[in-house]
Amino acid sequence: MLLVRALRDPASVDALSPGQWNALIAAARAERLIGSLADRVGDRPVPAAARAVLDDALLDTARERRQALWEADRARVALAALGVPVVLLKGTAYVAAGLDAGQGRFIGDLDILVPRDALHEVEAALIAAGWEWVKEDPYDDAYYRQWMHELPPMIHATRDRMIDVHHTILPLTARPRPDAAALIADAVTLPDGLHLLSPAAMVCHAAAHMLADGDMQGGLRNLWDIHLLCTQFSAAQEDFYASVYEEAARHQLTAPIARALRLARHLYGTPVPDYRAPITVDHRLRWSDRLFIARLLARDGWGRETRKGLVFAFYLRSHLLRMPPMMLARHLLTKWRKGHRPV
Amino acid sequence: MNGHYRAEPETALVVRPLDDIVLLYHRPSGQTHMVVSPVPEILEALCAGGDGDAAAVHDWLAQTHDLGPREQAISAIAAHLADMAAIGLVRAL
Amino acid sequence: MTLPLFQTHQIMLTIGPATFRIASAWRAPIDALERLYAAYPRPADAVADFTVRLEPAGRLRRWLRPSIFITGDHGLADAAPMSLAHGLLAAEMGMNLQMALGWRRHLLLHASSVEKDGQVLVMTGESGSGKSTLAAQLGERGWRLLGDEFALLDLVTGHVMPFPRLVSLKNRAVDVVAADVPAERMGPMLMGTAKGNIRHLVPRADAVARMGEGAPPAMLLFPRFGHETDVRAVGQGEIFMRLTQASTNYVALGEAGFDALTRFVATVPACAIDFPSGEAGMAMVEQLWAQRG
Repeated sequence: MLLVRALRDPASVDALSPGQWNALIAAARAERLIGSLADRVGDRPVPAAARAVLDDALLDTARERRQALWEADRARVALAALGVPVVLLKGTAYVAAGLDAGQGRFIGDLDILVPRDALHEVEAALIAAGWEWVKEDPYDDAYYRQWMHELPPMIHATRDRMIDVHHTILPLTARPRPDAAALIADAVTLPDGLHLLSPAAMVCHAAAHMLADGDMQGGLRNLWDIHLLCTQFSAAQEDFYASVYEEAARHQLTAPIARALRLARHLYGTPVPDYRAPITVDHRLRWSDRLFIARLLARDGWGRETRKGLVFAFYLRSHLLRMPPMMLARHLLTKWRKGHRPV
Repeated sequence: MNGHYRAEPETALVVRPLDDIVLLYHRPSGQTHMVVSPVPEILEALCAGGDGDAAAVHDWLAQTHDLGPREQAISAIAAHLADMAAIGLVRAL
Repeated sequence: MTLPLFQTHQIMLTIGPATFRIASAWRAPIDALERLYAAYPRPADAVADFTVRLEPAGRLRRWLRPSIFITGDHGLADAAPMSLAHGLLAAEMGMNLQMALGWRRHLLLHASSVEKDGQVLVMTGESGSGKSTLAAQLGERGWRLLGDEFALLDLVTGHVMPFPRLVSLKNRAVDVVAADVPAERMGPMLMGTAKGNIRHLVPRADAVARMGEGAPPAMLLFPRFGHETDVRAVGQGEIFMRLTQASTNYVALGEAGFDALTRFVATVPACAIDFPSGEAGMAMVEQLWAQRG
C-alpha cells in the first residue's frame, strides 16, 4: 500500500505519478495520517499541488498540538487542588513529551488517566471548571459507568473540546486486566506537574488501544504511533523491548504486544529483535496476522474502505473482546433498537 | 490561589482594538476573545505592575482613571480577574 | 490494490484555486458536471486538492430507489442521503463540503462577491438573505461574479479571490435570473430538493476566464431581501462576530485567520441593507458603491 510505503520510506514518493499522489493523499486523509505523511516527506521535492496539500496538513497538526497542550494545561489547573496524579495519554502525552510520535499527529480529545478512587472528585472538579456531559442518554451513561474504563465523555462548555477521563486503560469487560495502580505509580512527572506513562507502559497502552479496545478503526495510525515510540525508545535504551514484554506481562497484555510488534515490524520496519533469552520471542508473522494486515490495508485509491465484510467481522470481534456474550447481546440490542448499525 | 494574578508573557496575546471593542487573540489556546473596558485596562495594569491582586490593579488604574468608590471597584476588578484567569488571559498564583 | 466496490465514473475540475476529483457510482452526475463545467480547466493528470465521492447510500441502493451518500476526504457521518435525480446538486454539495471543512489557503467566508473597477463588493448573510441572487444578477449586469457562496480572503494580500462555481438559484430566483440568461448557461431544474427547487447557472465567460484574478475588498454589505428599503450602520464588533460565524475555517487558521479578518473589518466599510425586490436591491448596491469612501 502506497501510504505504508511512503511512511516507511519517504524517498518512495519521489517517483509517484499524479494519480498515485491522489491515491496516497486520499488514503492518508482517511487514516488521519496526512500530518504524519507531511512530516515524513519533509523538504523532499514533490509536485507543487502535493506540497500545498502537505502544508495544509502541517498547519492543522500544528494547531492541534497547540490546542492539545492548552487543554492539558486547563485540566491541570482544574485538578491541581485535588493533589491526585493526572497522567496524560495518547497524542497529548506524545506532544507534551516532545516525542517523535507527536510529530504531525492529529490529536482530538484529551485523554487522562487518574486513580480510580479519585474519580468522583475529578468529575466534580472538571464540572466546576466548565466541563459538562456530552450525552444525556441514561442507558449510555449507565453502560459507561458500569463497564467502561472511563467516565462518559465530557465536553468543555466554552472551548468545545472533549475530555476522556480513564481510570484504567481497557474496559472492565475486557479479558486482560491491566494494573492501573502500577501504571500510575510508575508514571513519569513533567515539569508542570502532569504525568506520562513510562516508556514501556506507553507502548503497552498503544497496543492495547489498537488490538484489544477497538474495531481497528484507525489501526494504521495506532500502529504508526507504536512504530515511532519503539524506534525512539529502543535507540535510547538497550533492551527496551525486554522491558516492554516485562511491562506487558504485568498487565496481561503479552499477546497484544507481541502481535502489535509483529505487525509494526512487518508493515513499518520497526527494529524489533527476536529473543532467545530470557524468553523466546519470535517476531515473524503468524498466519492470523494476515487477517489483521488485510484489515489495516483495506482502502482503495479513492480512500474508500474495501472489504466491508472484514470490517464488520472486526466490529463484532472488538465487542467480543470487551464483553462476555450475554452482555454483548444486551448492548447490541439496545444499540440496534435505536437504529444504530455497524459498518 | 490567594487572589494574586500574573499577566501571561506579552507574546501570548495579540491585542487589536476595533471601533467599539477590543479583540484579543490568545496564542496558547488559539482562541479569540472580544472584550470591552475594563478588561484591556486590567491586562495593561498587570503587564505594567507585574504580579498583583485586585487592590494593586485598582491602585495602578486609579492613577489615570476615575474608578468610583474603592471597595466596589476592587470587588468588580476581582470578579474580572477570576473570569480572565478562567479563560487563560491571566494566571492565578 | 483491490477490486473497486462498484464501477466508478469520474471527473477532475478546477474552480478558482481548488482542484477536485470526483468519483460517482452513477454516470448522470458526471455528465451534468461535464456539460456545465465545460469552460473550466479540466486537468487530465493532476494532483487534486480534494476527493469527492458520491456513493450508494446502502449496498442495494445503487439500483433500488437509488440514493446518494455524499462523502470524500471530508464528510459528515450523519449527512442525509439524496435522490439520484439531484445528483448534480450532490456533486456541488460534495465540493462545498470539502472547501468548507478542508480549505486552509484563504480565510473562507460564507459570502457572495462581485468585482467592478478593480475592487470587490462582499455580501454576507444567512441563506434566504438574497446575497446569492443579488450577486448572480449583478454578475449579469456589468459586474464580474467572483462567487455566490464562498469568498476567499487571501491571508497575505487581503484580496478577495474568486471561487466561481455554478451559482445555485433557488425557488423564485430561478425565474428572475433565467429570463436574462441563454439556456446553455442553465442547468436542469431540480424539483423538490431539501431547499426547494434549484437550478444552476454557469457564470459568464469572463468570470470563468479570470478566476485566478482577485482584487482588494472595498465594501461589505449585509443584505436582507423582502423588507422595506433601509440602510443601517453596523459596529465593527458586530461585523467581526458575524464574519467569524460566517467562516468555516476561521478557527482552523489560527492567528493567520485572526490577522486577515481583523484587517478586513478594520479597513472595509460596511452596512446592512434591506430591500423589497431584486431591482431595488441592485439600485441600492449601485448607489452605495458610487458613494463608497
